[in-house]
Amino acid sequence: MSTNKDTDTTDDLEEVGDNAIAAKETEGQSQGKIVLRKFLRHKGAMGGLIVLAAIALFAFSSLGIFGLPGWWIFNHTASGQVVNPGGAPTWSLSNPFNLGEHPFGQDEIGRDNFARVMKGTQISLMVMAIIGGVALVIGTVVGALAGYYRGWVDAILMRITDGFIILPTIVVGAILGRLVSGTNGAILGLVLGAILWTGLARLVRGDFLSLREREFVDSARVAGAGDLRIMFKHMAPNAMGVIIVNTTLLMSQAIVLEAALSFLGFGIQPPDVSLGQLISEYQSSFATRPWLFWWPGLFIVAIALSINFIGDGLRDAFDPRMKTIPSWRKMKKAERMTKKGAK
Amino acid sequence: MTEQTETSTSPVLDVNGLGVNFWVNDEWWMAAEDLTYSVNAGEVLAIVGESGSGKSQSSMSLLGLLPANGRATGSAKMGSTELIGMPPEKMQDIRGNEISVIFQEPMTALNPVYTAGFQIVETLRVHLDVGPNEAKERALELMRLVEIPDPEDRFNSFPHQLSGGQRQRIMIAQALACQPKLLIADEPTTALDVTVQAEILKLMRQLKSKLDAGIILITHDMGVVADMADRIIVMRAGRVVESGNAQQIFYHPQHPYTKQLLEAVPHLGTGIEGEAFGTELSEIESASAPGESDERVDPHVDEERKPVGTEDAGAATVAEGGANRTDDLAMEAQEIAAAGRPSSDLGMDSTETYYHPGSQADFSKPSALQLRDAAIEYPAMGRKKAFRAAHHVNLMIAPGEVVGLVGESGSGKTTIGRAALGLLPTVEGDMIVNGKSIKGLSNKKMRPLRKEVGIVFQDPGSSLNPRLPVGESIGEPLYLHEGMKGPELSKSVEDLLTAVELPTSMRNRYPHELSGGQRQRIGIARALTLRPKLLIADEPTSALDVSVQAKVLDLFEGLQQEYGFACLFISHDLAVIERIASRIAVMRHGYLVEIGKSSQVVGNPVHPYTKRLLSAVPVPDPREQRKRREARDAVLEATTDA
Amino acid sequence: MIRFILRRLLSTALVLLVVTFVLYLLLNAAMDFFWDLRASTSPNIEDLFESRRRLLDLDTPVVIRYFSWLSGAAGCVIGQCDLGTAWYQNQEVTDQLKGAIVNTVKLITASTLLAIVLGVAVGVVSAIRQYTGFDYFITFLSFLLYSLPVFWVAVLLKQYGAIEINNFMNEPQLSSWWPVIVVCLAMGLFWMGAVGGDRRRRIITFCAATLISFATIYYILASGWAQSPSIGFIGVVVIGAGAAVVMTFLSTGLKNRRVLLASITVVVIGALLYMPLQYLFFYVEMNWLWIVGLLILAVAICLGVGLAFRGPDPWDTARTTAITGVIVAVLIFCDRVLQEWDAYSGHPAINGRPIATIGASSPNIDGGFWMGNLDTFTHLLLPSIALVLISFASYTRYTRGSMLEVMSQDYIRTARAKGLNERTVVMRHALRNGLLPLASIVPVDIITMIGGAVITETIFGWNGMGRLFIDSMNRAEIDPVMAYIVITGLLAIVANLVADFLYAVLDPRIRVNA
Repeated sequence: MSTNKDTDTTDDLEEVGDNAIAAKETEGQSQGKIVLRKFLRHKGAMGGLIVLAAIALFAFSSLGIFGLPGWWIFNHTASGQVVNPGGAPTWSLSNPFNLGEHPFGQDEIGRDNFARVMKGTQISLMVMAIIGGVALVIGTVVGALAGYYRGWVDAILMRITDGFIILPTIVVGAILGRLVSGTNGAILGLVLGAILWTGLARLVRGDFLSLREREFVDSARVAGAGDLRIMFKHMAPNAMGVIIVNTTLLMSQAIVLEAALSFLGFGIQPPDVSLGQLISEYQSSFATRPWLFWWPGLFIVAIALSINFIGDGLRDAFDPRMKTIPSWRKMKKAERMTKKGAK
Repeated sequence: MTEQTETSTSPVLDVNGLGVNFWVNDEWWMAAEDLTYSVNAGEVLAIVGESGSGKSQSSMSLLGLLPANGRATGSAKMGSTELIGMPPEKMQDIRGNEISVIFQEPMTALNPVYTAGFQIVETLRVHLDVGPNEAKERALELMRLVEIPDPEDRFNSFPHQLSGGQRQRIMIAQALACQPKLLIADEPTTALDVTVQAEILKLMRQLKSKLDAGIILITHDMGVVADMADRIIVMRAGRVVESGNAQQIFYHPQHPYTKQLLEAVPHLGTGIEGEAFGTELSEIESASAPGESDERVDPHVDEERKPVGTEDAGAATVAEGGANRTDDLAMEAQEIAAAGRPSSDLGMDSTETYYHPGSQADFSKPSALQLRDAAIEYPAMGRKKAFRAAHHVNLMIAPGEVVGLVGESGSGKTTIGRAALGLLPTVEGDMIVNGKSIKGLSNKKMRPLRKEVGIVFQDPGSSLNPRLPVGESIGEPLYLHEGMKGPELSKSVEDLLTAVELPTSMRNRYPHELSGGQRQRIGIARALTLRPKLLIADEPTSALDVSVQAKVLDLFEGLQQEYGFACLFISHDLAVIERIASRIAVMRHGYLVEIGKSSQVVGNPVHPYTKRLLSAVPVPDPREQRKRREARDAVLEATTDA
Repeated sequence: MIRFILRRLLSTALVLLVVTFVLYLLLNAAMDFFWDLRASTSPNIEDLFESRRRLLDLDTPVVIRYFSWLSGAAGCVIGQCDLGTAWYQNQEVTDQLKGAIVNTVKLITASTLLAIVLGVAVGVVSAIRQYTGFDYFITFLSFLLYSLPVFWVAVLLKQYGAIEINNFMNEPQLSSWWPVIVVCLAMGLFWMGAVGGDRRRRIITFCAATLISFATIYYILASGWAQSPSIGFIGVVVIGAGAAVVMTFLSTGLKNRRVLLASITVVVIGALLYMPLQYLFFYVEMNWLWIVGLLILAVAICLGVGLAFRGPDPWDTARTTAITGVIVAVLIFCDRVLQEWDAYSGHPAINGRPIATIGASSPNIDGGFWMGNLDTFTHLLLPSIALVLISFASYTRYTRGSMLEVMSQDYIRTARAKGLNERTVVMRHALRNGLLPLASIVPVDIITMIGGAVITETIFGWNGMGRLFIDSMNRAEIDPVMAYIVITGLLAIVANLVADFLYAVLDPRIRVNA
């Protein structure tokens, strides 16, 4: 069978033979819609999206943002009276409907752990988003230029990329983090974004290198399009899959990196909090007050895991070879049915 | 439905009510249905059909090689063994042993990390109880059987070190290793160049008579069918529409689809009186003298747009205004001399261009495209050195003339097309498009010149931006060059769609929503947007099924007459070129080896390579092909290509 | 090929040079060289500042300081290393590095090898069982591992992996059988998913795996094996025989009796040599030279056995016997190491808490070669697990993706059409092609590992390069940090080089073309 995967839209004799299977899947839909539909059908990705949205909503609404007040009564700095002995959580599995005053517990000076975790989540999410944005822009532009122009532009840009890749990100991150320590999370995000773009740049470059060989690029050039138009109007939309998927996955890397740096003391510094900084601050009290350690960790894992699943869903959705997963069980059942019918 | 030929031997394979279904989106999709046929020993059964007809999947189902979401129903018996629904462990003993397969793509069908020899030995040792040394001996024997040169050397070669034809021979050797009773050849020559295809077909014919195995030949190429098949099944959309022996199908087709299919196949030699080169054995021995063909009327040439050079056919052409006049003069003199005494003593590797009378490049005339002693290079990239893909090419296309450029893969034909668009640099000589030299022009300076050149690419799927609605793709040149916008632009787009016989509502579709034929129409429409004076058509139909190809070619001819553009039509398919072009240029290894009117080149080729090429083309007519076959084998023998 | 590699080597070295320059400037800007003086209330604070400035030569422009550092570092090429001084501790950087490099390489090598073997195996099975419950489980697991911050896991490991297990060893009491039953059922499900097959085979696998797990756990608990783990003669023979069967299955299939017999022979030879070896170990003071020598001897013997069985493919047999032999040899080695367990556990420096949480070795342990090894292993255990967890996931995902890609290639269909069985198709035709792209992942992963080591070393107090880096950063010592950067960069270059060679060896297309 040839590779011709066409849709028959006319009842022309020539078209009838065309692959009806592929036809059904793509009939009358734009590429964007197909991607969206595949994404929405990806259970893991939808789960991840819901969890991530819930976490973000919780974090930003509970404590408020941009001066807007939130609905949670405590804030992350005020110490208060220790309610339970040792500051243990007032919320437990044995009585899940009673949140109590401090559902995530308190630390030794009575600060509310829920408020601190929420604040940490806010900052971590914000840093993550900035890292993602910065890396997206740098990575795409560098990758596109290198892949499009090839030759010496490519050589120079790729050597620069090598310079970043030759050392672990955590090492470069620690040095840059120390450089900007004491400033705020946004600047940390900018700086970390400036080192995490390398992977994306390589992938975008690879994609552009192969897109460049595609005939529609020549065809656009013959039509009179200039370099910039070819790069960003014609090629970039075709590299969208690679860009979106890898930016997503990069964000999950970003949140873990930020946490690790804060943990080591090169990221967010007290009195600011982030999830990593909280773990760092409370790791010694693990034996006595485990809740202080567990909650920020669980939030990091939950955020990173959701993003990974979203990225996986996006990857499948953008992959043209990836058909919707056939359900073996239904297939076996249908087979049995037809066999019975035959008898 | 099955029809026994004269042989009374019991069939090797008996297929009864075979169906193949795929589980997609929680439903069964029919890929093939109700197939009933049988294959006898020593017989070739051809299953013919276009893409999506289920010809390949139905044959794979015989071996249980369907993808996981596929299933087969019905019955296929080999002797008394039922193949459908056989458990995998048992099927392993059948595969490669009783039934073996030759796949289409020899490059991807062999494992790149193992040597050719190992892969044959492996097949032998799975099924036969032989030691490594004996297996190697047998493998070498098989390699000799399929006529691989230096089998001892080739035994240790990796697939990427072999040529396409050699790889396919290894594939065949591997398939024959255990002397199967049934051989399934799935488009065995589709990926190969036509001369290599001819060699493989020749080999398969020899083997067929030696081996006494039944062969199922799956193909879409009527020429190959005419060459090989004893009996034929025509499939369409998963069903058999007609079956019968070769004579019946080719000369008395019953079903309208079969008729349409046969009509759609371009037939080499239809453009000339008499027959194409290679039909008579005698031709081969005495490569004919040119000149006599001059009187022949080329039906493709209208009086109004007579190609340049027709008037002064055979007359000496003086190069005026040529770039390097003295050289040109000297060369022309040589050419004239050569034309006067057309020699059959041109060697296979001769890189001289043979100009048929009337086809010398006359650079003084107005032209749409001129290549003056041009050399074209793929520029160096990093560690890759620059690669010169075309040398010393002299070619000119008059306004309104269609010139076909033919050659096999790696001949440099596409290179010339791309260079004419300024996509590749002309490093020596000169390239003049619509009267202006484009040699060394920067991208920016090139841009205004691009208004007057259009291109239709080979793969319509790849030449349209998948993320742009086709209307936007068509309109882009207008937007970029004329600054056209809004309703005016949309009017022009709709006009163009009408011109290529597509409904105007299609402008909002994305390329993947269109069929191959429709996409190529869009490609043509886009190329014609600015009414170019020159169109480069780079294999515009080779990705299409034959019936679609026929329609696109009709459309193309109509548009050419309407718009009157000159065209460089690049193709590997001589029959297509002969149909569409008034002159044919033949390229080999980056050199232009022969150029002349279609009738001259097809009827009286001079360069041995052209002869080889012509004789290798199978024609969709078993009787004619039988004659051609003998001629072909003789030519292949006489002109072994490196 | 060689020229290509040399060119790459040169260009990467230049990149590293530029990187060191840029980072030197950045470090100079980022570090507060007076951090310890900031809070000082000493009356002569001005002088202290001044003397610090002179000590660190801060009045010289930073570029000049960089070049003087560089000239010192360049001396390493001719064997005269001067990587500067860690001023706060007043130590030569070269002295600081000596132990650190060894410790880090130890940690990373062990973890990388383990992660590759486990990740590839699981990834292959996951690809073969695409879209089954097993595949989904592995996918979820690998995403989870991706998402785990290594520092968080490390702290958890310290708590549960070490402290709780040590507690359990001291007081082996199970509060409830439920966790054991759950674990056994999970093992059953895992193996059922991995082995696959029709319904009957799956049920058999499930029951067998569950029962075997339960029996193993029960034996461990009942016999007090956990208090003094050992392998023993029986263990060596049983596990060795199992390995022989599995290796034969993987390499040639169990139908090939000759290979099976040869592998079993190897196990028998191992069993026969067990006692003599114990005497050797007892009377001769061992060192690594001896161990490596014995291993080479073992491989040689096994190859000999394999070849002696002759048959049509002696080298196939020899390959299988050699692998089996190595497994048996490692078992005997581990058995000997574990014989030290009681002595080690009871040692006053250990005090009954054998799983270590801090450091690369226990102080004051001098129990000879075997106990030293045991000590190293107990220290390696937790940081290795932490590192394996993070890179296991990427190997699994990568292998799975690559195998799926390969399994859909035409040559796999050809292999099936030849009549090869599924094992041969996967092991011979798919695996080798599927592993090729892994060669380009390994160096990247090693760099990630080095990064991960920074964190694990800090948490587990492992005296390696990573910890040196963090400590020096905190003490504003620029020279050790620069040394760390150079050495890590060189490690990365070497890793890339090895990967290039590996690729060339495995892929004939590259080998011949370049």
